[in-house]
Amino acid sequence: MNQLDIKRFAIKFGGESGQGINSLGEILAKALKNTGYKIFGYREYPSLIRGGYASYQIDIGNEAINSSSQFCDILVCSSRRSIYQYLRDLRSNSILIHTLTAVIFKPEDQEFIKSQNIQVKYIDALTLAKQQGGNALMSNMILLGALAEIIGLDLTSVEHIVNEQFADKPKLLEIDLKCLKVGHDLNIADYNLNLQKFDGWQDSKIITGNHAIALGAISAGARAYYSYPMTPASSILSYLAETSHESGMLVKQAEDEITAAQMTVGSMHMGTRAFTGTSGGGFDLMTETISLAGIIETPLVLVLAQRPGPATGLPTWTSAGDLNLAIHAGHGEYPRIVISASDFETAYSLIQNAFDLAEKFQTPVILLTEKQIAEGLYNVKDLPQDIEINRYLLNENELTTKSTLKRYQFTENGISPRWLPGSDLPQYNANGDEHDEVGDVNEESLNAKLIAEKRMKKTELIKMSLPDPVLYGENEADITFIGWGSVKPVINDVRDILKQNNSEIKINYLHYDYLFPLKSELLLNVLKNSKRLVLVENNYLGQLGQLITSETGFQFSEKLLKYDGRPFFIEDILNFINSSRNE
Amino acid sequence: MSSLCKTYFENENVSLKDYYSDNIYTWCTNCGNYGIAAATKRALVAENIEPKDTFMCFDIGCNGNGSDKIGGYRLHGLHGRVIPVATGAALANRNLSVIASGGDGATLSEGIGHLVHAIRSNYNITFLMHNNCNYALTKGQASASTRQDVPMDSSPDGTPSDTLNFMNFVLSLGASFAARTFSGNVQQMTEVIRAGIRHRGFSVIEILQNCPTYNKDTTHEWYQDRIYDTIEIKDYDNSNFDSALNISKDMSERIATGVLFANPNSVPFDQRLENRQNYSTELVDEVKSYNQISQELFSRFI
Repeated sequence: MNQLDIKRFAIKFGGESGQGINSLGEILAKALKNTGYKIFGYREYPSLIRGGYASYQIDIGNEAINSSSQFCDILVCSSRRSIYQYLRDLRSNSILIHTLTAVIFKPEDQEFIKSQNIQVKYIDALTLAKQQGGNALMSNMILLGALAEIIGLDLTSVEHIVNEQFADKPKLLEIDLKCLKVGHDLNIADYNLNLQKFDGWQDSKIITGNHAIALGAISAGARAYYSYPMTPASSILSYLAETSHESGMLVKQAEDEITAAQMTVGSMHMGTRAFTGTSGGGFDLMTETISLAGIIETPLVLVLAQRPGPATGLPTWTSAGDLNLAIHAGHGEYPRIVISASDFETAYSLIQNAFDLAEKFQTPVILLTEKQIAEGLYNVKDLPQDIEINRYLLNENELTTKSTLKRYQFTENGISPRWLPGSDLPQYNANGDEHDEVGDVNEESLNAKLIAEKRMKKTELIKMSLPDPVLYGENEADITFIGWGSVKPVINDVRDILKQNNSEIKINYLHYDYLFPLKSELLLNVLKNSKRLVLVENNYLGQLGQLITSETGFQFSEKLLKYDGRPFFIEDILNFINSSRNE
Repeated sequence: MSSLCKTYFENENVSLKDYYSDNIYTWCTNCGNYGIAAATKRALVAENIEPKDTFMCFDIGCNGNGSDKIGGYRLHGLHGRVIPVATGAALANRNLSVIASGGDGATLSEGIGHLVHAIRSNYNITFLMHNNCNYALTKGQASASTRQDVPMDSSPDGTPSDTLNFMNFVLSLGASFAARTFSGNVQQMTEVIRAGIRHRGFSVIEILQNCPTYNKDTTHEWYQDRIYDTIEIKDYDNSNFDSALNISKDMSERIATGVLFANPNSVPFDQRLENRQNYSTELVDEVKSYNQISQELFSRFI
């Protein structure tokens, strides 16, 4: 397995927060894309503004890649700490470039460097930048130039992006371009990668999962977004605010998450499309409101961008640990829908579907995402096809008798007619107290039973209408993985690697976008026919596994769980397959 | 009966009976809520607002138990949360008159953050703060507006925390409309609520409400002996913030009621949004595909 030919390549920039690591990564990512390559960008950073260690990794390939590898081929470091932090992430025959004088490696590090045949190259980037009239940040341009030379990337493609990025600062731009050239001419390392231009991903865009959610919502007619900043959901708020003049969306930073959720319910109740987004801690504060939306049967759409908890946890890292939270949020019993994005395309489509489902079933919909998706940088050629907008409101023209209308009418399938405040129809009370069919308070036992049944009936209907999980790969496989969220692109990337290598091991993957209420027909079929089942989740408990067990009784004997704040890397899956083969 | 009074019962498009409900009130005998409910209905009729164009939001508390005893579109939400749910509704459809009701328990405790920021944001809703100086629905605990020396259910020795003067607090936050009225004076209450509905911005109306069951301290009679109307003050100018702040302070000897302050230059939140200046439509009317905008925004990425 170690001899697998993996047709992808990774470059990691490491440094402190505030050193310009992100703009370095972005420029290179864009230059690579313009040369035709597919990239996936992955950022690690601490929850602080200056210091610590941060990285920006770009995985590069000719064909679709949508995940990160744990190891990189070139590591470029501009802080001492990042060298020590990331040294062990280098593959054999790789390169470490750094800008620090007198870096002292511990004996075991020296041994690692030697055994892995790692070239360590020092560039006095600051001095070189100053010689061109530049400052500390411009030493990044020296590094970028040197890197372009090493990987055989045409310098003009990098210059093109730098030109675009700094066009409004012509004096600095001139120095930046000089620095690039100086770095390029250093000819610093001996490396044989030759990233030739080819006809591939030039026409794509580099864009994050949060952008997908924002654009999907804009397109679906969401007219208000209420939110309180919280990583990794914050960039939905900032992007929607930034584009609010184009979209006309009302974007409000609320005073807290309770407010954000309540304003969303208020706006949705009146009949517009509004939504809110947060992470686990903020979501906790929203749960009473989700419960309210459940009883007043007002559509509600919430984005829960997961990061590791409990409490503040690891605020800038990734996790899929809030499935249980989403499924169980809010007191009392009411139907809800929990769905999860797994990449750019699903983030875009599922936020649209969230509105559709919320309005169709008049109940809360929680869209899960993860830091890895929210802030992951994808290459995307086109926006996915939009979901058709349906409002599922009462058609006033078809009404014969208006006076007998009941907003919470007991119906066969549990869905009652919905009309909006302002309509010339019977006015009703959206009552958070238990109520009768018209919304008046009612504490009678029969009514309590009937209206609870009316609401809960919707769960079966929802379950029937949700799409099945998707089986990726052949029906027959040696190992069947089951997972959700950002696990999907990692396993699918691994499937591609195995296929390209004509591996004798066949894997397939059953993926859940629609998590709750859980669809189990296809699952049971897969469970019955698979040789070996492995649950893969970015959490400790194996929460989808718990849900499957509670629904079907099936217990997973094999679980691949990761809960260290890092996403699954392709190596995690490859090593698992490899080690199981050696057993 | 003057012609003005007639419009309380019968107006061009609406009459008082349109706001009637068949449901029987569940408040105590002599509760201040009867007067508040009557004044609210009269104000709506006097403003010629039909029930279909009214959206009333209720907090949890005795006020909320009136949510199904009045006509119009209504929402009975969660404790302390009436302001944000009502503002979300008001922003989505400005064609409806949004009136939010909450008590001193909810507003001055769990909901106090919402109050502060609603005043800052100047959302265009009318907020009726039912101040009966206790948590009546949970049977008489002290609220932030309960006077300190009064023994209450959860504080038999009186509450050790200082008493909050609601009107003074609201004015100190720069409210664009601040009024105080009394549940025993339906006529004044009606006119104050009408002024609140007409005001463009966040209209805060404190209703000094008697609670015959749990508030034996500041009773109906106690208020009767102390309240006066600002119209009794010679040349009172309710656009003068400092005078309003000044007369709001006294809550024990002479208690000022009426519209204490109304900012004639009030700009409500929805009019402050630069990106919405060219929209004459409501958010509820704008739900459609904006695919072209998404495509355009997408194309700007590199």
